[in-house]
Amino acid sequence: MVQYNFKKITVVPTGKDFIDIILSRTQRQTPTVVHKGYAISRIRQFYMRKVKYTQQNFHDKLSTIIEEFPRLDDIHPFYGDLLHVLYNKDHYKLALGQINTARNLIGKIAKDYVKLLKYGDSLYRCKSLKVAALGRMCTVIKRVGPSLAYLEQIRQHMARLPSIDPNTRTILICGYPNVGKSSFINKITRADVDVQPYAFTTKSLFVGHTDYKYLRYQVIDTPGILDRPFEDRNIIEMCSITALAHLRASVLFFLDISGSCGYSVAQQAALFHSIKSLFMNKPLIIVCNKTDLQALEGISEDDMKLVMEMKAEAMKTLIGQGGEPTNDEGVLLTMSTLTEEGVIAVKNAACERLLDQRVELKMKSKKLNDCLNRFHVAMPKPRDQKERPPCIPEAVLEAKAKKAEQAAEKQKKLERDLENENGGAGVYSASLRKHYILANDEWKEDIMPEILDGHNVYDFVDPDILQRLEELEREEGMHQEHEADDFEMDGAELTPEEQEALAEIRKKKRLIVQQHRIKKSTAESRPTVPRKFDKDKQFTSERMGRQLSTLGLDPTLAINRARSKSRGRKRERSIDKGNQNGTDDMDVDGDQPNKKLRLRSRSLSRSRSRSKSRPPYEVLPGEGLKDSAQKKKAIKLAEKSHNKRNKDARKGEADRVIPTLRPKHLFSGKRSTGKTDRR
Amino acid sequence: MPQGDYIDLHRKRNGYRHDHFERKRKKEAREVHKRSQIAQKTLGIKGKMLTKKRYAEKALMKKTLAMHEESSSRRKVDDDVQEGAVPAYLLDRDSTTRAKVLSNTVKQKRKEKAGKWEVPLPKVRPVAEDEMFRVIRSGKRKTKQWKRMITKATFVGPSFTRKPPKYERFIRPSGLRFTKAHVTHPELKCTFNLEIIGVKKNPNGPMYTSLGVITKGTVIEVNVSELGLVTPAGKVVWGKYAQVTNNPENDGCINAVLLV
Repeated sequence: MVQYNFKKITVVPTGKDFIDIILSRTQRQTPTVVHKGYAISRIRQFYMRKVKYTQQNFHDKLSTIIEEFPRLDDIHPFYGDLLHVLYNKDHYKLALGQINTARNLIGKIAKDYVKLLKYGDSLYRCKSLKVAALGRMCTVIKRVGPSLAYLEQIRQHMARLPSIDPNTRTILICGYPNVGKSSFINKITRADVDVQPYAFTTKSLFVGHTDYKYLRYQVIDTPGILDRPFEDRNIIEMCSITALAHLRASVLFFLDISGSCGYSVAQQAALFHSIKSLFMNKPLIIVCNKTDLQALEGISEDDMKLVMEMKAEAMKTLIGQGGEPTNDEGVLLTMSTLTEEGVIAVKNAACERLLDQRVELKMKSKKLNDCLNRFHVAMPKPRDQKERPPCIPEAVLEAKAKKAEQAAEKQKKLERDLENENGGAGVYSASLRKHYILANDEWKEDIMPEILDGHNVYDFVDPDILQRLEELEREEGMHQEHEADDFEMDGAELTPEEQEALAEIRKKKRLIVQQHRIKKSTAESRPTVPRKFDKDKQFTSERMGRQLSTLGLDPTLAINRARSKSRGRKRERSIDKGNQNGTDDMDVDGDQPNKKLRLRSRSLSRSRSRSKSRPPYEVLPGEGLKDSAQKKKAIKLAEKSHNKRNKDARKGEADRVIPTLRPKHLFSGKRSTGKTDRR
Repeated sequence: MPQGDYIDLHRKRNGYRHDHFERKRKKEAREVHKRSQIAQKTLGIKGKMLTKKRYAEKALMKKTLAMHEESSSRRKVDDDVQEGAVPAYLLDRDSTTRAKVLSNTVKQKRKEKAGKWEVPLPKVRPVAEDEMFRVIRSGKRKTKQWKRMITKATFVGPSFTRKPPKYERFIRPSGLRFTKAHVTHPELKCTFNLEIIGVKKNPNGPMYTSLGVITKGTVIEVNVSELGLVTPAGKVVWGKYAQVTNNPENDGCINAVLLV
């Protein structure tokens, strides 16, 4: 839906400003430097560009003006007529037409001068042609200046027109000047319309919005209309006539029965009859205002007759819409805006009538699916006094009754009900442990500790803990049984010392098994190094010595034997040498006659104390090689596979030499086209 | 007041600020200084335009001030001398006026015969041949140089057909052909856009006249039926001479002054 909002039209500059803007833009946005000595085509291009650029800018700006101003034939006839009333359609069209011709003229000028520029043979000539072209374009705009000023004024006025949507629900208020239309609109909407005691306070249309049954209604307040022939009406009255003519709205015709507006009821009735042609197909309500000054019942006979006539007319419109002819309550209403009695009733009546009319129209149209939310259940009109209630069979009634009983029985007490009984939301807190599933129901209300013996209880919680405990116990139980069996078998034949020893051994074994089990359980996180290589260096000779001494045995022999076994044969020999001299491991020997021997022994002793370095071909356990020959071969292969660095200062790959710079086979011989001999 | 006039509505209901008028007055007083500051700071083309505008305003202001002061000053009144007024010592003599009244047409015919015309531009700058013509090379090897292209504005007439291109020596480009001229009537001081009928005389030489070249000072014949001039005999004048006053190749249009 187009928003009838004319605020988006760009400002129309005055003639002079327009020229200034465009010319300064040309000066800024096109190259500025040109010299006499340039090639003539370059000079020509320079000036042609300026002419074209100026023309383009004029064209753009004028086009925006022409496009943004609304075309009176393309918009809703209400707005078309309103704009005609306010600004005179002919003037408006003429102004826009002049802008259009200006645009075309400028285009022609640019074309002609660009053609002439092609014959320019000197800088001076091209420059004067460009000056002439721009000057002519600016004169065109200067001539069209008054139209621009006029359009700017129109734009300013249009932007302030109230945004009336011609297609939505509208309530129109009309009547003589000073009857209370503006006060009414002030009462039902938030529009702050000026209310003054003099006539013609409202000089233009005013819009307000009000709600009824969750729908928004536009309320339009019109300036007062006087009873005059159509041709004599001034612009202000024409506005209201336009609104009446084009908007599909419900009309509230205001009547001042007290006559305090300065016009008698007769005059108002005359006006009504003169414009009643405009009320066709519109729900019409006659509103008698200012009842605080003069009640409807208290008016004179003639006035009453006139009012009734008007009412009859209004009824005609009612019938015309297919409503009920007997219901005449919504046609003639009384109210007083001062005391505010009856104001809401009038509004409701107007909204209701309008809604009915619109719904009916929509029902008849094919767009019914769009307003499915406003169904109308038709009730047949009673043709006699007989009661005809809905008929429900007996079985259904019984079933319904039974269901109701069951529902009442099984009424589960909800937590919410409990809460409400015990004091409400803030007072009662529900016990969440009621439904815990535990082995012993008494444990439901137990308080579980969080910290026990300095440990965080939750760290030790394991959902399968009982299961595990059982498993462990089972294993231990089995083991104990097993142990007991062993003991029983051998116990009779042994001495108490032997028994003691046996017990020790068994204890040791158990410890070892336990350790093994622990290690097994954490086997995934540990790398498995075979025991032979002893990652943790647990199995040292000292340990063996300790263990043997705890048993009561002398460990020295065993230690020596173990140590000797772990040495290589060569090493042994050298050790013997060193030992022959009588030196200890860490002592410095100063009596060695041979320096070499001394150094050698020192290095040997050092190396012995620090690390156990072995000859390269010696095969260590775990390497995967059969014997030292295989290892030697493996070493050789490895060394061959990589490039040893040449530290001998001999010629390398980079120190290449070409023995012949121009070998014959490359520089002479047959080619595809002939022969060559470039040597 | 229309619904959209928020400012006016607010003013009507709540009035102005307590210092509104004072501030307005002071702001307007400051305008003068602000304008002079801007005029001092603006540079370049904008500065020039601004000074021009300001100078125009200043001149206008001075004129109005002078006009206002006129009424308060007194000066001598100088009566115009009447036609035919004669000093006192000659009052008794008869003066003989000899006048030969000739009709306009006769005068024109004589002038035509003499070939002399009273024109607004009696002397013009001569146009050299190399300025007028541009050499066009032709031939297979572009060595022949006998063709010339006219670089000035020309008029060819409606029944003009070119010579066969092979033999055409002078080329008149269609972009430089003009049919209309902006002719000013010297007495009425208004300009009309009139059609050219032909080129009468080009001051640079008869060759240019025959070619139809229009330069500054050329006398052309224009179609004045638009003006509705009538001879004393009652015949409608439809062709008159006019002299070109600008350089048409530089301005892109022919401006001429009617020779009455």
